[in-house]
Amino acid sequence: MPRFDTLNEALMVWDNPTPARGEAVLEYSRELERFLAEIERRAFRMAQVALRDPDDALDVVQDAMLKLARNYASRPSAEWRPLFYRILENGIRDLQRRRSVRKRFMTWLPGVKEDPDNETPDPLENVADAAPEIPEVLMQGQAMEQLEASLRSLPARQREAFMLRNFEGLDVAETATAMGCSQGSVKTHYSRAVHTLRDQLGEVWS
Amino acid sequence: MSSHVEPNDSSSAHAALEERSRALFHDSVESLDFATRSRLTKARHAALEAASTSRRPWFFRSGFLTPAGVTAVAVLAAFLWMGSPVVHSPITAADGQSNLEDLDMVASSDDAIDMLQDDVEFYDWAEKGANSGPAA
Repeated sequence: MPRFDTLNEALMVWDNPTPARGEAVLEYSRELERFLAEIERRAFRMAQVALRDPDDALDVVQDAMLKLARNYASRPSAEWRPLFYRILENGIRDLQRRRSVRKRFMTWLPGVKEDPDNETPDPLENVADAAPEIPEVLMQGQAMEQLEASLRSLPARQREAFMLRNFEGLDVAETATAMGCSQGSVKTHYSRAVHTLRDQLGEVWS
Repeated sequence: MSSHVEPNDSSSAHAALEERSRALFHDSVESLDFATRSRLTKARHAALEAASTSRRPWFFRSGFLTPAGVTAVAVLAAFLWMGSPVVHSPITAADGQSNLEDLDMVASSDDAIDMLQDDVEFYDWAEKGANSGPAA
């Protein structure tokens, strides 16, 4: 008796009950898990760059995983990557929009002066690490901080185009699918992002 | 001295920026701490599990669907239909068009019977698969 977890899997095996087909369905589920395992860290870092907060980044990544598994798992695996990033970018934009609304609402409230995004920092974060870091690692860390700051200063669409093309390695067509825009727009956003980053980081990095 | 940048210089500078930023990003991914990696793994498992659970019909999740359950539901439905006051209503009887005849018409359709039979067999079979042991 083949083992399956979803009605879709059961229907596929029922329609073609050969052992090979049953195995193919199981392999298909495992392939989805492998795909998510391969992509999750980069997706998390990209979300973290956009949102700053690691908990929020984790939430949007998990939500994107869930939506992909629930709604698009039956699509060809070649389509998963751009679909996943489309869901992820939508999640990031939704969260940023909610933050923006919340921030405006909080400023209207009398007596509320604090920015909800700027919570009190954890004092432990400022405690020096016991192990001394070698200068190269420190320099890399600083360079990454500068890069993140510059990426955050970009318009959202430029940041998305740059990260999807350059960090994730999507081609123009896949990036267009992920961003929900034309390939021409991707090229424009990407070119502008590179120019701006070059202007901001060229002096620092050279 | 002019600050004009030649196209070749500009494109090589852009290529260097792309390469360096990509290397920094991938280093930062590789240096993610264990706690974050663990949370990501848990998030992945939770997402896959939630997706599979939510797509499973409620009668699979509750274990409601059993062969005996299917039979009982079918018998109950037939009993209710046969015992329905509409069947014995004077108007229907007077017209000679009882619901039983309607039921016969439906039942006489080979497609409908086959479809119903297929569904019952499928759900019975699928329920066994859903309840079988862990995947190999």
